[in-house]
Amino acid sequence: VSDVADRLDLRGWAVDPAAGCEGAAELTVRDGILERVAWLEGADADGLDADGTLLLPGLIEFHAHFREPGSEDAETVATGQAAAAHGGYTTVAVMPNTTPAIDEPGVVGRVRAAAVASGSPVRVLVHGAVTAGRAGETLAALGELADAGVAGFSDDGAPVHVPALLRNALAYAGALGLPIIDHPEDPSLTTGAEMSEGYVASVLGLKGWPIAGEAGAVARAIAVLADVVQDVPGAHLHLTHVSTAASLAHVRAAKSAGLPVTCDVTPHHLAFTDEWVAGSRRWAWEALAGDGSARDPWIDGALVAPPFDASLRVNPPLRSPVDAAACMAALVDGTADAIVTDHAPHTEVDKHVEFGWAINGISGIETALPVLLAAVDAGRVSLTRVVDALTTGPARLLGERRVTAPGFREGEPADLVVVDRGATWTVTPDALRSKGKNSPLLGRELRGVVRLTVAGGRVAFSAD
Amino acid sequence: MTAGTDRAGADPSSVAPSAGTADVPAVDAPPATQPVAWRHRHLLDVDALSRAELELVMGTADAMREVLERPIPKVPALRGTNVTILFYEASTRTRVSFEIAAKNLSCDVVNIAAASSSVSKGESLVDTVRTIEALGADMLVMRHSVSGAPYLAAEAFGGSVLNGGDGWHAHPSQALLDLYTMRSRLPGGSLEGRKVVILGDVLHSRVARSNIWTLTAMGADLWLCGPATLLRGFEAWAARGASGRRFTVTSDVDAALRDADVVMALRIQKERMASGLLPSLREYAARYGLTRERLRAASPEALVMHPGPMNEGVEIAPDVAIDPRAVITTQVTNGVAVRMALLYLLAGAQHGGGKS
Repeated sequence: VSDVADRLDLRGWAVDPAAGCEGAAELTVRDGILERVAWLEGADADGLDADGTLLLPGLIEFHAHFREPGSEDAETVATGQAAAAHGGYTTVAVMPNTTPAIDEPGVVGRVRAAAVASGSPVRVLVHGAVTAGRAGETLAALGELADAGVAGFSDDGAPVHVPALLRNALAYAGALGLPIIDHPEDPSLTTGAEMSEGYVASVLGLKGWPIAGEAGAVARAIAVLADVVQDVPGAHLHLTHVSTAASLAHVRAAKSAGLPVTCDVTPHHLAFTDEWVAGSRRWAWEALAGDGSARDPWIDGALVAPPFDASLRVNPPLRSPVDAAACMAALVDGTADAIVTDHAPHTEVDKHVEFGWAINGISGIETALPVLLAAVDAGRVSLTRVVDALTTGPARLLGERRVTAPGFREGEPADLVVVDRGATWTVTPDALRSKGKNSPLLGRELRGVVRLTVAGGRVAFSAD
Repeated sequence: MTAGTDRAGADPSSVAPSAGTADVPAVDAPPATQPVAWRHRHLLDVDALSRAELELVMGTADAMREVLERPIPKVPALRGTNVTILFYEASTRTRVSFEIAAKNLSCDVVNIAAASSSVSKGESLVDTVRTIEALGADMLVMRHSVSGAPYLAAEAFGGSVLNGGDGWHAHPSQALLDLYTMRSRLPGGSLEGRKVVILGDVLHSRVARSNIWTLTAMGADLWLCGPATLLRGFEAWAARGASGRRFTVTSDVDAALRDADVVMALRIQKERMASGLLPSLREYAARYGLTRERLRAASPEALVMHPGPMNEGVEIAPDVAIDPRAVITTQVTNGVAVRMALLYLLAGAQHGGGKS
């Protein structure tokens, strides 16, 4: 069981997006309580800037896979919590694609019990399945799951691809005040697909995963939602890990029309691209030519690693640099409500195989913040917007009933993360607390080291 | 990344001075005794081969071709070298060609035919490769139904991996034997400016993909032709192709064949209809089949090629397959010479060739 953060005197560059504040600050924690928040000015702020120590509210993960019950060799709730804390997260909502699926209250209880038994102060919230056994045929016990306190419903890993069922789910869950978190994918276009369709897939001879395989499902889900809200104004469609410009255009239009739709993007779709499968490792924004088109990694020396690294196999697949830029634009303009890691740990047995046979997923909860800080460093997005999308954005999706609004408020239990922004670390299997070592960043040096994570007044992770 | 393996399959420990000239080795002798400007420990793809390296393969294949014409077509160059041929996909032509090539160089050869219906059944590729290495293999020739599988094998294997075809991705030895055949048969021996047409199921073809790299590197005017469903994604490639590596993609078979110097037909597989990519084989044969009638649009001396196995009457008419312009069996013979050259050059890189 972790210790209470009994005495912390923190100085650094604080970001509190809920309060709209970013600047030099001093935080005082006594007996787990944030006693004092002092924003510093003038000489008091000397030496404190955004390149030094960052003080952020505890990060909130809306979409992770902790694999328990059923695949404890890939991750457990306890190792997932440890990985989350190492990544700066203090709250995590886990997806129900476990074995058995989280489609009835008993499994919810089992996950909660594991989160308590670990002794970690990282809060674990649970999403329930939309359909029984995630089979896409009949509704799961949505009401009972709601009574058990789930945060939302998702068949993630698979779409709710029968529109009639999606319509019923949106209505039923809407009346319960909970979102349907849809994984938008049209299986008829993606069966057997190995990577995003396009130039790189053509060259590598991998079966293409067309843009329409996501954008079509997004458009259809939004159309279904538009009907549902006529009857159920509380319906809420959340589209998770949206990865294409075309999908985001649909979401943007639906939001403008006032529909209750939200979406999220992932760090890997913001920062990695399909050219990584060919052996490139440059950030997405470095793969764009001046005119906004994608550069050619075969002619500009970008191919530095062996191709076909199965750690890059993920659903939805890594997209072109142009789509990655569209995800970034959606983050910047607020079309994307949150950043989620879709942390998907897997065993070596499932991942260290032929690319086309590897299971989908990237272990990403521990590298999310440094990857996003690289985007901030490159001037692609502001620090405040990133922190907003990692804290208040997901908090809104989870709802006030389930999570305290993030931010620095005196008199409340401390919930924060301390990041040494200038320090670097190398991503190695040993450095990752997750059982899932399936990161395409293995061997890479990242800037931004989490020094301390305090969740609910208790130390969840400390580098010292 | 495994030490000693870059993405092109080169071993940095044996990087030779630039292969600016094709100093063809005397192939009767073991490669370890000779200065060979070949730096790739593995041959997994042809995308990273320079024109000079392609020339070296061609020159070495010439020497091997000479060996094949001897009364006893065998040299002791790779005596004691253990070659394992691991094929996860059915193949006669390529497998036997590699086997004969290895035996002509006095290698010891082991053949493994592995079923590969599911990754969840049986041993992983990495474990298989480690086992083969523990059994003493120096070189591994492999074919696999999944694109990129040889890269995984190369990561685990201490010797040289030679890709005998992976998924839709690459078939380096086929592209090199195609190039060799074109050079030996075209007047002047050069591909520069020559119109080469690859006709058929380009989408699923590792032969087409590898030929794109080698033929554009040699300056050919390359055309890819077939039904639009079987060219999917290639317009994106053509549009992005680096300068000097451009090619044309079209569904217009008449435009493609007009004045062509080389026409290569690709096999059409029946399962393409089941997945809705083609209406019928009959319609394919009628619209895209290589017939004498269609071939009239091509240059009178145009070479007719096919990587095999052929579906006669579908992608190629039976009379075209035996037309004097057809070099399909020459491709097979040249395949042995080119594969001998590849085994020889890779063995040289393994032994630190090029450091003279």
